Amino acid sequence: MFRSDEYNFKQIDWISVLLYLLFVMIGWFNIYAVSYDPELDNSIFDFSINSGKQLLWIGGALILIISVLVIDYKFYTAFSYIIYVAALLLLIVTIFAGTDVNGSKSWLDLGFIRVQPAEFAKFGTALVLARYLSEQQFIVNRQQWVVSVILITIPAILILAQKETGVALVFSAFILVIYREGMTSLILLFGVYAAILFVLTLGVGEFPVLIGVGVMYGIILLYFYLNRRRFYKNVFLRQIITTIVFFVLSVGFVKGVHYMFHQFLQEHQRNRIMVLFDTERDLRGKGYHVRQSKVAIGSGDLFGKGYKQGTQTKFDFVPEQSTDFIFCTIGEEHGWVGSTIVIILYSLFMMRLVFLADRQKDKFSRVYGYSVVCIILFHFLVNIGMTIGLFPVIGIPLPFFSYGGSSLWSFTLLLFVFLKLDAQRVHVLAGH
Amino acid sequence: MNIKQSIVLRLRLVFIGISLFGFAIVYKIIRIQYIESEKWEEIAVNNLYDLREIQPTRGNIFSSDGSLLATSIPFYKVCFDPTKADKQVFSKGIDSLALLLSRYFKDKSTAEYKRKIIDARKKHKQYIVLSATPINYQGKKQMTSWPIFREGRMKGGVMFEKIDKRFRPFSFLARRTIGFVNEDNKGAGIEYSFNHILAGKNGKAWFRKMSGGNWRPIHDEDEVTPIDGLDIVTTIDINIQDVAESSLLNHLTKHDADYGCVVLMEVATGEIKAIANLGRVNTGVYTEDNNYALGNAGLSEPGSTFKLASVMALLEETDIQLSDSIETGMGEYDFYDRTMRDSKPGGYGTLTLQQAFEKSSNIAISKKVNEYFGAKPEKFIEYIEKFGLTQPLSFQMEGVAKPFVKSPKSKHWSGTTLPWMSIGYEVSLTPLQTLTFYNAIANNGKMVRPLIVKETRVADQVLDTYATDVVIDKICSDETLEKVKQMLVGVVDNGTAKNIHTEYYKIGGKTGTAQKLVQQIYTKSYYTSFVGFFPAEKPKYSCIVIIDNPKGFQNYGADVAAPVFKEVADKIFATDLSIHPTVVPVPMPRLEVFPKIGGGFFDECQYLCNALKIPNHTAPSATGDFVTATIENQTIVWQDRSIKKGVVPNVSGLRLRDALYILENIGMRVKYLGTGRVVEQSILPQQPYTKGQIITITLK
Repeated sequence: MFRSDEYNFKQIDWISVLLYLLFVMIGWFNIYAVSYDPELDNSIFDFSINSGKQLLWIGGALILIISVLVIDYKFYTAFSYIIYVAALLLLIVTIFAGTDVNGSKSWLDLGFIRVQPAEFAKFGTALVLARYLSEQQFIVNRQQWVVSVILITIPAILILAQKETGVALVFSAFILVIYREGMTSLILLFGVYAAILFVLTLGVGEFPVLIGVGVMYGIILLYFYLNRRRFYKNVFLRQIITTIVFFVLSVGFVKGVHYMFHQFLQEHQRNRIMVLFDTERDLRGKGYHVRQSKVAIGSGDLFGKGYKQGTQTKFDFVPEQSTDFIFCTIGEEHGWVGSTIVIILYSLFMMRLVFLADRQKDKFSRVYGYSVVCIILFHFLVNIGMTIGLFPVIGIPLPFFSYGGSSLWSFTLLLFVFLKLDAQRVHVLAGH
Repeated sequence: MNIKQSIVLRLRLVFIGISLFGFAIVYKIIRIQYIESEKWEEIAVNNLYDLREIQPTRGNIFSSDGSLLATSIPFYKVCFDPTKADKQVFSKGIDSLALLLSRYFKDKSTAEYKRKIIDARKKHKQYIVLSATPINYQGKKQMTSWPIFREGRMKGGVMFEKIDKRFRPFSFLARRTIGFVNEDNKGAGIEYSFNHILAGKNGKAWFRKMSGGNWRPIHDEDEVTPIDGLDIVTTIDINIQDVAESSLLNHLTKHDADYGCVVLMEVATGEIKAIANLGRVNTGVYTEDNNYALGNAGLSEPGSTFKLASVMALLEETDIQLSDSIETGMGEYDFYDRTMRDSKPGGYGTLTLQQAFEKSSNIAISKKVNEYFGAKPEKFIEYIEKFGLTQPLSFQMEGVAKPFVKSPKSKHWSGTTLPWMSIGYEVSLTPLQTLTFYNAIANNGKMVRPLIVKETRVADQVLDTYATDVVIDKICSDETLEKVKQMLVGVVDNGTAKNIHTEYYKIGGKTGTAQKLVQQIYTKSYYTSFVGFFPAEKPKYSCIVIIDNPKGFQNYGADVAAPVFKEVADKIFATDLSIHPTVVPVPMPRLEVFPKIGGGFFDECQYLCNALKIPNHTAPSATGDFVTATIENQTIVWQDRSIKKGVVPNVSGLRLRDALYILENIGMRVKYLGTGRVVEQSILPQQPYTKGQIITITLK
């Protein structure tokens, strides 16, 4: 079973591994900077503060990496369905037996440790998607992509039931993978169109959006009318009817935005969206998180206040400073230069992963690779977007940086299974 | 378009989308950190400073005898500026300081404290909190003598930041009346009603945020010093309160009642000396949970205690005499479709008005009231109003319930309302309202407003006094007053409350036993009360006792509520000399009293008497060592206590030492019981004995 071991470490993509280690280290130092209390003067290894605990998680992650590299690559293909179903069962158990943390029931208390199964569900879903799509020939047809969408929707719904909206949203990143494998563009376009209408309606107001929609469809109708001679009559009629149907649907959607906004979202979620349009509205309440986060990052200026010198992240002004808002600390203490370096490194890392995913000859590895890329990218963009007020605050961590065992381990697992598959790509071909 | 092209196109589209978002992030970061950085920096600095309120010390609440009922106890947070002390003081004191801190707080070792302080000094940190646990005043006093700390704030660097905690020294006593105020300024009782006086005025000062979420005050000229709250002196007498509360508790427990209250008022001034409220939490467990005496929870149909108002209305309106007879028949009488019943099975027969009141006959009172006022019920209501029973007492405390008295104009007024109202149904009063009414009778018709807070003070200086407020100058004529007082005393002397009659002082009062209305039906559960005043000849105190829903076979006001009244009254009578009839002291002749001298060893007895200058001389016959004392003509005469051979000597009256000496000398073995002088010996004197025989002597 381990006959291909000797290739493992030589073939592994060391660029990704080094970037991974770099991120984990930067994260760890920043977690220390946040939890550092000058009065107590703890050391970074102090297990009573977060940096000490994170060191334990990092140690665990290293053991995890070795296990992943040792286990035969065929394991992941063979067991993908079982892992997926196990993850779903765990999610269901969590809905009923979960511990309440900050209003969501997504944590399982195992006594000595608390885990968030939703984090590991991403891994299971990526595997099952890769397995399912790798069984198909060439571009997926409609039935296949519908099945794929269902595969990613089930865990997302279970996670929604745990009131972890943010993590559930992460599953939408898989859409891009299915798209890459041949899902029709229309779905994506409709999605983007609806999102734009939604944001505009909330930001600019219902009336201007309705006028805009009217003008847009007016122009389209005018275009069809002016070019009517170039089409057959029934084609022309169909175009006109389709346009009108779309116009009516758009108007209905815009009119319904406020209803949906108030009906389906909870108050704190609404506030987090509205605050993007007007941060100054309320200093202590709704805008507080984003504003404090912006204060921290903004006061960092060009070069930052220096390591462990941050005042905003340290004195409890910024909430969730070492988990979801870890980027604030980087921004405050290392300034624009620091945050830009992190973003550039991260972009390089993502590009490297895209490159790796694209070079996979085996479809399973490729789909899995893209899933990893999409999930990490989604986390990265949305997390940074929310700390600087570009995106509503949904509680998702910055991969490899944020404090927490579940998130570090799940991202490590996700990444290193991919690196293992990549390292075996020659054998994969030989095996087939 | 082939597959490859399609995929490339798709990738590009996604890439463009993601890049757009990426650019948005990069732009936003540049904007926040570069273009807007000044704005955010300013906010960041402002975040660190805050103009915060400083809490003043809350005023104390005192009882009338000067005991503290509620006070704010200061606790202190120990903060330290380790840079203040000069090098010599610091290096000399740090070891012992760290040791003392470690011993006091027990949360860190000596080494840890030392390291913490030395590190902070090295880093020029000017503010550290030494322990999260606040210390009390004794602790603070103790600490000011510690090394470095004893140099004071400027040279030593120690700062004690005050935190106040509210404390009731008598915890349980009058808890609901003293009340509370919570963080939202909601509350109950005196604390809440007088919050504007007790609270004081907040001050303001700038604070800087320190790590760990602490705020440190920065002293500058912008500081507004807080103004402390004033003290309040209540009329409550803590001793009477104690008696009232414990007596009430005993009787509530005995009858397993739902709730009860006692209010004791000084007749002339309306000052409330005791106000106890207890509600049942569990069987046998009662707590001051509600102010039944004056709040909505205590609003109830008063029952027979209301008959006083009815009889007064009759006496004022008509020429009815106390001796006029009323036929009550067999104890049942119909008003329209409702039957009025008396509590005595078979009825009282014919009663005089006075007897009717004393025995609390429902039929007699309602019949008479209906006879005179049936045609003009508004006149009756007018009297009730005149007696001050329709208007809420504008009492000093918040949460006083409004009395409820039906009006003949109301649509709920029926033909049976008047007779039932005359015996205390279909009206609702609080115990305090009923007491105020009875107090007016005791006070010769002058109705005064109950008073619970006498004055406000700053330390010993009285700032403001709250005087007794007269509500109604005269609630009825003097003749009526005279008659009702006579009847009220009759209730205790001959009537329903005979069980609390006492020889020592006179009580005037009225029992009440109302059936409780549950869902429009009068049930077998009762609201019992006793209200009255004492000493009846010259009333000094009035008092009401309510016990709600007593269980078991005793459920009349006389059996349940009146004994509490008696216990409170007895206690006051026993301790308050001002209500006793004056005793003219008779000078007593001074008598020479001889000390008790039973007898003993002659030399000692004689020496003792000589030393105390007690005349004594020896009878000519006394020759032995032991003597007994007899008194003749103001002189002690020593008689010989002869010890004859072969017979047991008389040792009674001797101390143990002497008795032992005598008995063991003649060869007896002695057992003794008790201490003092010998009162009994097991073998009588002059009886023969054998050597080694045991004799038991009892001493007292």
